[in-house]
This record gives sequence, structure tokens and C-alpha cells, in this order.
Amino acid sequence: MDRNDSIMLSIDSLRIGYGSSLLPSPLTASARRGELVAVIGRNGIGKSTLLRTIVGLQLSLGGSVRADKKDISDYSQVELAKKIGYISTEIVNVSNMKVCDLVALGRYPYTNWIGRIDENEILEINRSIEKTGLKGFEERYISELSDGERQRAMIARVVAQDTDILIMDEPTAFLDVISKYEAVNLLSDLASDGKTIIFSTHDFNIALSHADRIWLMLDDKLVEGAPEDLVLKGLFEKLFKSEIVEFNRADASFFLPDRSGDSFYIEGEGLLYFWTKKALHRIGCSVTDKKIIPLIKTPESLEGTWELVTPESTFSCSSLFDLLRMIRKNMG
Amino acid sequence: MRKSGYYKESLHKWHERGNRSYIFILLGCLLILFFFLDIILGSVYIRFSDLFELFTSGANSSISTIIFKFRFPKAITASLVGVALSLSGLQMQTLFRNPMAGPYVLGVSSGASLGVAMVILGFYSGPGTSGMMEQSGWILVISGWLGAGSVMLLMMFISTRVRDIMTILIIGIMLASGLSAVVSIMQYFSNETMLKAYVIWTMGSLGNLSSDQLKVLTIAVLTGLLLGVALIKKMNALNLGENYASSMGMNVRITRTLIFACTSILAGSVTAFCGPIGFIGIAIPHVVRNMFRTSDHKILLPGTVLTGAVVMLGSDIISQLPGSESVIPVNSVTALIGIPIVLWIILHNKKISGLG
Repeated sequence: MDRNDSIMLSIDSLRIGYGSSLLPSPLTASARRGELVAVIGRNGIGKSTLLRTIVGLQLSLGGSVRADKKDISDYSQVELAKKIGYISTEIVNVSNMKVCDLVALGRYPYTNWIGRIDENEILEINRSIEKTGLKGFEERYISELSDGERQRAMIARVVAQDTDILIMDEPTAFLDVISKYEAVNLLSDLASDGKTIIFSTHDFNIALSHADRIWLMLDDKLVEGAPEDLVLKGLFEKLFKSEIVEFNRADASFFLPDRSGDSFYIEGEGLLYFWTKKALHRIGCSVTDKKIIPLIKTPESLEGTWELVTPESTFSCSSLFDLLRMIRKNMG
Repeated sequence: MRKSGYYKESLHKWHERGNRSYIFILLGCLLILFFFLDIILGSVYIRFSDLFELFTSGANSSISTIIFKFRFPKAITASLVGVALSLSGLQMQTLFRNPMAGPYVLGVSSGASLGVAMVILGFYSGPGTSGMMEQSGWILVISGWLGAGSVMLLMMFISTRVRDIMTILIIGIMLASGLSAVVSIMQYFSNETMLKAYVIWTMGSLGNLSSDQLKVLTIAVLTGLLLGVALIKKMNALNLGENYASSMGMNVRITRTLIFACTSILAGSVTAFCGPIGFIGIAIPHVVRNMFRTSDHKILLPGTVLTGAVVMLGSDIISQLPGSESVIPVNSVTALIGIPIVLWIILHNKKISGLG
């Protein structure tokens, strides 16, 4: 129990950057065994630099990074490679490289001087290929894979590296929606196998729905916690503060703040209520809990009609599209 | 535990191992064939019966002189040059992850050229230049080596200071251009005889090595080859770029330095002894990558080395213009063979992504 819940990675008063520190205050955070940690922050805040520093690709300007209770500077490079694996944002596209060759490279820290692949290595390689759902892809050239498949192959490589900690810089960046969720599900699976995964992302929904912990990089500090805690504390508003877009704490969505649209009361429930509200938000109107006029009655089912009650008259609309058009036309 | 033939069977499903061995056998046969052809074909045609006689009864003085004094050392030189240039080309293309990189991108051959130019074009104030050239090719070789070596040390120093490998590539190319410009100035101020001697040096020659020089070249190329074999694993990791290689436990600085040393020994020695021979270093690794369709240097390295030797021997055969009295510069032959190969590969491969 103690072992399974132990802290795998901790950064303590870490200063990162090239020459001068990127952030005004040092960073402190940690991750336990089996945790999926999302690093979130606006562009240029230093997410990649932080991850590169943790992997040891870049020297820190102060403070410490400890992997499995030992400072990374106390590891030899090969020992560190057996502890921490890394996937960068760079799209690797080597022609004439097969998936199995790519995955086999993950065994680099374990093989002999010429990189001999013996039975044991083959076992590990096949295991990573299976775990990442790439069975049948071994013979494919990575230049012929889709972005999602290639990313999975990269993950297979880092799985073959057999490290306790995986660091991934925007692993979902170039992927379509389905591949994105597939990739994150794969990361969740790996985490539940006991790996500690730190990944940076701009995809806020993915972080909220999958991460066990979030390292939120704000302009002046790093805050960590469960995604829900951070939302409740109102920290996301701070991150996403913008003139144009606002973050809605209630349902973790972004919206364009009230652009002098009217307020409505919606009568209804369930999905139809939810999407009617979303539609109103989209055109800059707001929804109140007070029973006022204008009022919108949602239908019982999609076959029914929406009723828009204004002080002047009542309209019925067969779709939300019609409803919005009616609102625009009649309410100016 | 250590069974012989260990991973061939286990990996069989992964690779077209069968095909690969055929290609290697074919290359081996071609190497032997071209080596013999290179010895036989030339301004004096040697019959098989002459060869046979030579090996059975010995002493046919003129044939034996031609073969042992000229043709055989030249064929060995051609093979060594092919091995050295194609291997260093492979290393540069993998290190820089750039299909247009070749053995000379670090400025090694320009350094050698400058060294040689200083001697031939009269900045060397020794005894009369023409006499000096007869006296010993060693002065040329040593000055070429010194030039190549200084550039190598400079580039190694730069590579420990500069993070980004692409920046190093650009510095190398700029350095090469700069050195060439200096050589141009020297050419401009030199007299006709010197100029011609220098221009002829730049055209490349495989036949001017004394037996001592051949020994030195052989040792240099074998050293480079051994170092190259020792670097195979690191080269495979470098396929993914230095960041990934480093995250997998490869020391980037040491590896860079070793690769630079290896390439400089190979390309620098060849340039010092035989002149700047072009295109082999760029073309051969491409051919081999496409022939074997792999990125694994355990296969690419032997393939490249064999193919390089075969093509260089072929170029030498052509440059001797079999059946005629004259020879053409070997550098023109390698260019005329290399350019179509590079073009064909580029046009044939619709997907030019990463390495050729």
C-alpha cells in the first residue's frame, strides 16, 4: 500500500528557463505512482521547458527534480533513461523506419554496445506493441501511419523503455478528436498499470475528464490539485482570463460573456433544456432562474415545437435554428 | 543463453531478412567482380591467361609490374575511398537528419583543400614546387590532413558549444564556403603551372599513392570503419533526433564528437590522399536506404560500405576508359554517376520525408 501510493516524481523550488528564470517564483509539485497528471498553462508559460527540465534535457536554474526519491542529477544518463521516458512535441517522421524498429529503439538503455535485440527484448517489444493496440502494425513504415497511429507508436516506444515515469509534451496536439481520446485513454490505462504520467495539454476537457491531478501553471506560480478542486477554487478563471472569452465554473465550459443580449427564462428539462440554454448563450443571451418574460418553453420531444413568449406575442418554432432566428428578428 | 543465430529466427517476422541476405551476397559478388575488372581493364588490357600465368609460374615482369605497382594498389585505393566516403556520408545524413548532408558538410574537405592549396599554390616557400611534388606526395598529404584536422577540431569545439544541430550544419557549410573563398583568392594570385597542378588535384586521383601512403590510408579507413561500427547503436537512436536519443540514455556531446572524429578521419584522409571526390558520400547512403528499406544502421552500415566500394571501383573502371590510352578525372565520373542516382531517388520517392 505504501509503495503503491508513494510519490514518484517531485519538483521542489524548481527554477526553469534558458539563462533567466521563466517564472517569477520557483515551482513545487509532485506526482504519485499511477497518477495521470495534466500540465496546463497558456502558451509560452514554460510547459515544455518544465517537462524538458524534468527529463534532464535541460539544466534547471535551481531547485531539484526527484524521481523515485532520488535527484535526477544523481542518476547516470542511462539509469535516468530507465526511470523517465519522454515524448516531445516534435513529429518524428523517419522514412524507412518500421513500427517494430521504432519500438525496439525504446530498449536502447537495456541493450548492449551494438543494440542487440535478444529474446528478452523481443518479449518487451511485443508487449508494448500489444499494450498500445498496434498489433498488426509491426511491419508498417511509420511514414505511412496516420497521426494517431504514429503517436501510438511513439507511446509504444516509450512503453518499451519500461520507465516508471512518462513525460509527454502535448501528446494529443495534432490528433483528431477520436485519436485524441484514444491516446488519452491509452495514457489512463498505462497510469492504472502503475506508471506516473505527466503530460502537457491545451485540451482542457481532456484534462478535466481524465487527469488525476493538474499542475496549473499560472503567471506567478504553479498550483496543483485535482481538476475539480482547481475549478471550484476559481483558478481556471485566472488562467483563462480574457476580454473575449470567459470560463464558466458551473459546467467547465467557455462562453462569450453576455454581449448585452436579453435574459430569458427557460421552461423545460433534460437535454432539450440544456441545448436550448447553450444556443441562447451562443448568441449572447443569458438565462435566469427567475420566471420572467421573455420565456421559452421547450417541447416534450424533438417532434414538438419551442414556444417563445415575448411581451408582445407568442411564436412557435420547429427547431432551435428557427427559435434563434425568431429571437434575433423580434428582440433586436 | 547465447545461441548462435539468436535473433534471426525471432526477428524473421519483422524484417525481410531473406531479401537482405540476397542483396548482401549480390553486393559481395559485385565487389569481387569489379575489383577484378578494375585490375584487368585499362590502357593495357590484361588477359585472364596472363593473370593465370602470373599466379602459377610467377614472373612476367611487365604484367607483374602493371598489376602490383599500379592496378592492384589503385583498386584497393578505390575500395577504401568508396568505403570511407559513403560511410561518412551516412553518418552525416543521420546525425543532421538531412538527406543533402554528405561527408564534406563539416568543411573537412575544404580544410584539406586549403592545406593542399597552401602547398601547391606557393604559400609554401620550400624548394621549387614542381620538384617538391615529385620529391614526395607526403607534403601534400600532410598539409591536407592538417587542413582537415584543424577544421575537425574547430567543428568539434563548436559542437560542444552550440546546442542546435541544425545551427552546426549551417556553420559547417559557411565554414566550407569561407575556406573555398580563401582558396579562390590563392588561385587568383598563382601562376599557371601551380594553378594547373592544383586544379588537377581537385579532380581527384586514385593512382598516385605510394605503398607507404596506401598503408596509412588503409589504417585510417579501418580506424574510421571500426569507430563507425562502434557507433551503430547511437546512430540508430539518432534517427529520432538528439532529444529522443538523449532521453534514451545517449550522451549527445560524446556521440557528436565521436561521429565528427570518425567522419573527419574518413573524409579528411581520403581528401588528403586522393583529392575531394564528390557525390559518392551523398548518393550511396540514399541508394542503400532505398535498397534495404530500413533505418537500422546494423544493416545500413555494411550495405553502405559495400555499395560505396563497388560504385567507386566502377567509377575507376570508367575513368580508365578501357581500351583507350587516356584517362578522365575520377571526380567527373563519380559526379556523372552520382547526380542521376540522387535525382532518380528524389523523383522516384514521392514522399520525401525526413531521410531520403
